[in-house]
Amino acid sequence: MSENPAVPQRPTAPGGPLRPESDEPAPAGLRPPSGTRAPGGRRGVPAPPGRRRARLTDPRTYVRAVGVVLPLAFPFYLDRFWLQAGLFAMAAAIGAIGINLLTGATGQLSMGHAFFLAVGAYGYCVFAADGGDGLTGLGLPTWLAAVLAVLVAGVAGGLFSPISGRLSGAYLGIATLALVFIGQHVMFNAHDLTGGANGRDVPPLNLFGLTFDDRELVVADVPFGSAEKLWYAGLLALLVGAQFARGVLRGRPGRAMNAIRDHRIAAGVLGVPVARHRAAVFVLSSMYAGLAGVLLALVFQRTVPDYFGITLSLDYLAMIVIGGLGSVSGAVAGAVFVSLLPQLLTRYSDALPFISAPGTGGIAPGEAARFLYGAAVVLVVLFLPGGLARVAARRRVRTEPGEQ
Amino acid sequence: MNRTYGARAAAGALAALLVLAGCSSKAKDDGGGDKAAGGVKTGEGISGKTITLGALTDLTGVYATLGKSVTQAQQLYVKQLNAAGGVCGYKVALTVRDHGYDPQKAVAGYTELEPKVLGFAQFIGSPFVAAVKNRIDGQDKDLVLPQAWSSALLGSSYIRVIGSTYDIETINAVDFLINKKGLKKGDKIGHVYFEGDYGESALVGSKHIAQEAGLTVVEQKIKPTDNDMTAQVAALKQAGVKAIVISAGPRQAASLVGVAAAGGFDVPVIGNNSAFAPQLLATQAGPALMKNYYVASPSLPIGADTPEAKKLVADYKAAYPSDALDNGIVAGWTAASAFGEALKKACANKDLTREGVDKALLTIDSFDIGFGTVQNFTDPAAPSSRESVILQPDKNATGGMKVVQEAAVSKEAEAYTPQA
Repeated sequence: MSENPAVPQRPTAPGGPLRPESDEPAPAGLRPPSGTRAPGGRRGVPAPPGRRRARLTDPRTYVRAVGVVLPLAFPFYLDRFWLQAGLFAMAAAIGAIGINLLTGATGQLSMGHAFFLAVGAYGYCVFAADGGDGLTGLGLPTWLAAVLAVLVAGVAGGLFSPISGRLSGAYLGIATLALVFIGQHVMFNAHDLTGGANGRDVPPLNLFGLTFDDRELVVADVPFGSAEKLWYAGLLALLVGAQFARGVLRGRPGRAMNAIRDHRIAAGVLGVPVARHRAAVFVLSSMYAGLAGVLLALVFQRTVPDYFGITLSLDYLAMIVIGGLGSVSGAVAGAVFVSLLPQLLTRYSDALPFISAPGTGGIAPGEAARFLYGAAVVLVVLFLPGGLARVAARRRVRTEPGEQ
Repeated sequence: MNRTYGARAAAGALAALLVLAGCSSKAKDDGGGDKAAGGVKTGEGISGKTITLGALTDLTGVYATLGKSVTQAQQLYVKQLNAAGGVCGYKVALTVRDHGYDPQKAVAGYTELEPKVLGFAQFIGSPFVAAVKNRIDGQDKDLVLPQAWSSALLGSSYIRVIGSTYDIETINAVDFLINKKGLKKGDKIGHVYFEGDYGESALVGSKHIAQEAGLTVVEQKIKPTDNDMTAQVAALKQAGVKAIVISAGPRQAASLVGVAAAGGFDVPVIGNNSAFAPQLLATQAGPALMKNYYVASPSLPIGADTPEAKKLVADYKAAYPSDALDNGIVAGWTAASAFGEALKKACANKDLTREGVDKALLTIDSFDIGFGTVQNFTDPAAPSSRESVILQPDKNATGGMKVVQEAAVSKEAEAYTPQA
């Protein structure tokens, strides 16, 4: 063995080709002992007196407050296009968190994310539909259908565990690539289950007597359609998903995952059950994809097989590379960037220079989005190896000591 | 983080939210249809002196060639309509969004344009039309003319397919093979078709007429990424088919015809209207295509010998000198004209709301713009025409096609009821 097993004794130390910024706080020496971000002060330890005033003068408190209020207020102001774009971004963020756990934190390349999204989306339809349109439907309550769809995506990931536990790197990438093709073949041909090429209708979610469909519900004089209602469901799903992933990454499993990524053999020597962790994180990532699939299906109101192709899988990989490998905030940032960019460019194509109106020749907005997206991936890989999340983290480290 | 802080922040946030929500521009204000000067009722999609129509097209995806021709033809139509004074004194504007055959962008484009337009003169991709069908039928009620000829889209009073659907077109195509190419009872025909909506819709048609006429269909399902038809030709030759129907793209058609000719497998091949592009005639498959290949089309080709077609070719060439002439132009022009006709009727009825335009279209029963077929829009459950024109590739004709059989409907297609 050429590698020295003593090297990776610090699993979070930089090393290896994948060197993402994890959510793990930096070693205490890099951080000021006080301040709201200090590792100890966040959980359980009561803040010393006088801290509260500091908090009131801290601009970050206000930034955070605005960050909480603003998304809650969006449905009251933005029109359906923006809400829908936001919902696509939220669904993408949930899916990206999932693949970041797998690829970013554990170093397992997956090209099959689209397949698990499809399992979630179609699973929800099959469980929730009442069979009125001639397609298979079990007619379960929709919340139960959503939960079951996520579980089924997990089970699908679990069935793949004999492979996902043993393979790594490009080998797993190729193996998961097969899933996408099998999935699309099934989607196009299992007509009773999937409705074939034209897809099938998605039954609207129904929670506590509130139906997330297009029937208008007037809240504070603002008519709420499906996009407005789903916005809150999406936010909640994203919040819960993000917190859970954060917990996983910061706890023992996260350390084990990073250890596997950085040096598989060393991790095994340290007592980490490598195959079991790999299989487990694959299942977890599939469940995230399943949840994203359910949310996407609800936003689309119809699932079509064209969507769940290989480009979708590549999009998810691009999201985590752009956002930052291995961190929850990176996944969210990347997902927002990748899913909003084409829609923004298309919408403002009339106003942007260099982009021609559709049908007049020149660079169409769709092409421009693809160019920018490709450029972003290249620039991030060259200049920001930690992705967008790294930029925020660096600024934080730089500014915090100065505040004292 | 202590609990009181979190609770306070949440309470503050909620209070702020309620205050803010009060002054939202989305808040409902009562106001129904506006009445503009002249007593014409107007609604969504009309502001000031402009009627806005939407076009959801594909300029960067798999149907980019079709999308470009359709869009440019529609822009040309709108330009000429405005030059002639517009509709009811209103100018017509076409807002185009390119979705690149991506479901997410298509649905986003629909959501963006829907509140701003009166209807859609173009919507490429039947899965995407199907995806927003519930919204169109449920609350939007805007007229949508899809550039997709799938029978699955029939049955809505707002989504109106122009021309014959693929199943009917295939019935007419096979009928041509029976009448003109000596196909008889007991013969086998091969059908090479795309997986998905287009091919499967066509297959329904070929199976229907095969049953009626006592033929056997030998199916060969392919994927849009399959470009080499050698295996399919070998299989069909093995099965001893007397003719082949192809419901795929131009590339597949060229490969099929070329490979069959090279192997001495000399049978007639007929394709749906999407299975030909004039560019193919310049390839090595060109001579074989001109010998053995036919295309069933819902209208006369762009190079048809009618004054309207000649004028369209001249105008299109003047506006887009560098672009090829193909049948996408006819499709786009026909759809835009149908929408324009509905607008004019709605204007005469003094009702330019979405409802008014829908109603106006339902009264148009013999619409003919000089491309051979007559469109009848009175029945939402049926396509606007059951006729097909049979064309043959010809490199000397404008647009690369000449007519071998004028618009006609076979008796099987007449009796056939499409399943929605």
